[in-house]
Amino acid sequence: MTNLGPGLRLRVFLRSFAIQGSWNYRTLVGTGFAFALLPVLRAVHRGNASALRSAVERQATLFNTHPYLSGIALGAVAQLEAEGASPELIERFKAALRGSLGSLGDRLIWAGWRPACMLLALVLLLAGLPWSIAVGTFLLTYNIGHLLLRWWALRTGFRAGRNVAELVRNAGLERLRERITTAATFLLGAALPLLAFRGATAEPVGMSTGALAAVAGLLGLHFGMAVRLPAIAGLTLIVALGFLLGVTR
Amino acid sequence: MSLWGVAALGGAVGLDATSFPQFMISRPLVAGALTGLLFGQPAAGAMVGAILEIFDLGILPVGAARYPDAGTATVAAVAAYSSVPLHALDPGILLLAVIFGLAWETVTGTSTVWLRRLNERLVLSTPRWHGRPGRALERLHITSMALDLLRGALLTVLGAWLGGLILQPAAGRWLLGSDLAAATLTIATAAVLGALISIFGGWRERRAALITGIACGSLLLLLLR
Repeated sequence: MTNLGPGLRLRVFLRSFAIQGSWNYRTLVGTGFAFALLPVLRAVHRGNASALRSAVERQATLFNTHPYLSGIALGAVAQLEAEGASPELIERFKAALRGSLGSLGDRLIWAGWRPACMLLALVLLLAGLPWSIAVGTFLLTYNIGHLLLRWWALRTGFRAGRNVAELVRNAGLERLRERITTAATFLLGAALPLLAFRGATAEPVGMSTGALAAVAGLLGLHFGMAVRLPAIAGLTLIVALGFLLGVTR
Repeated sequence: MSLWGVAALGGAVGLDATSFPQFMISRPLVAGALTGLLFGQPAAGAMVGAILEIFDLGILPVGAARYPDAGTATVAAVAAYSSVPLHALDPGILLLAVIFGLAWETVTGTSTVWLRRLNERLVLSTPRWHGRPGRALERLHITSMALDLLRGALLTVLGAWLGGLILQPAAGRWLLGSDLAAATLTIATAAVLGALISIFGGWRERRAALITGIACGSLLLLLLR
């Protein structure tokens, strides 16, 4: 069995940041997955060009995952390749991971961590702190979580190999997601009165505007993303009126 | 500020959104502040970015869904906004810049779909990974990333130019008063901000955290007055 040392793991880790670089509708992140795994494939199949070519071909087929959790699959598949597992087993293993890693990551990061960090930044901005503090806080908090998750995912994949699914199940990611979502909801609640009564622009807004904005916020809470298009349409209408009057005057 | 600076930032922001490395400089708030910094108006850039951010935060890049590319559009919108002379900047121009950013992000989002189709053709046309094993794959992958960088740069420059063409002649022609422009933006963003609750499971599911947040936000509001 090939020894997958720290240098090799670091190269896979760095390449995993570009896993979505050739995203396409045929293989999704499949080619990116093979790109990230290439240092391992080269080490495992050193001196056997045809075996390396076959390994690259089978790793570049259809695959999907959340980019931050891709390390779980990369590490585990690297272990399977190093153990000399059959191509059929590797294919079955990847198919089993494909859906679950994507959906777990989407809910944990895109619908949890990212909006939570951004809402924190918006609350700071609306509270009157300088833009640099708000932006800096977002980039710092978000990326600490981002990098820790990526590193944990790759380490877990390498450590657990074919048993990775069980380890991920017991890692408490669902519990973590629940806590992040609760925190994000709290921050959303805090941002609403600040936005309504302090305004979205540098211009101060009056109490009547604040009250109307509060009602609009409640409508948003009730109807969800269905209010986005009407809000944009309303803005466009006001812009058209405001400038058309100016042009025709 | 030269177009090269806008192109470089637009390219980096376009690449960051999906391809590499997703450090979130592609979020409208960050991209807006960085573009503002290029033009010496970081606070104004952050303001345009924050408004666009509220409109885009609830759109999730889930699976193969088609979604707007908000980062590059924000760079274009802020660059266009900054091209208007300082004395002519009013809330009407801000409103127009926001509308332009929201419209341009559908164009940049469509370009992402085209790039993905092009990537698909590249994958199909790569001759079964011939030559030194792995080299063709690396070439394909890096070519795709370079195309994404180029896409971001070109669309940002084009958007900044087009936005400038729209915003500059509009300066001084806003007739509904700065109060109305500010109020309109505040009301619309409040509605969209409230709508974010749907990505957290809805207000019925999360009412305790939501009400606690509203209470704390209101308290903070009173303290800040």
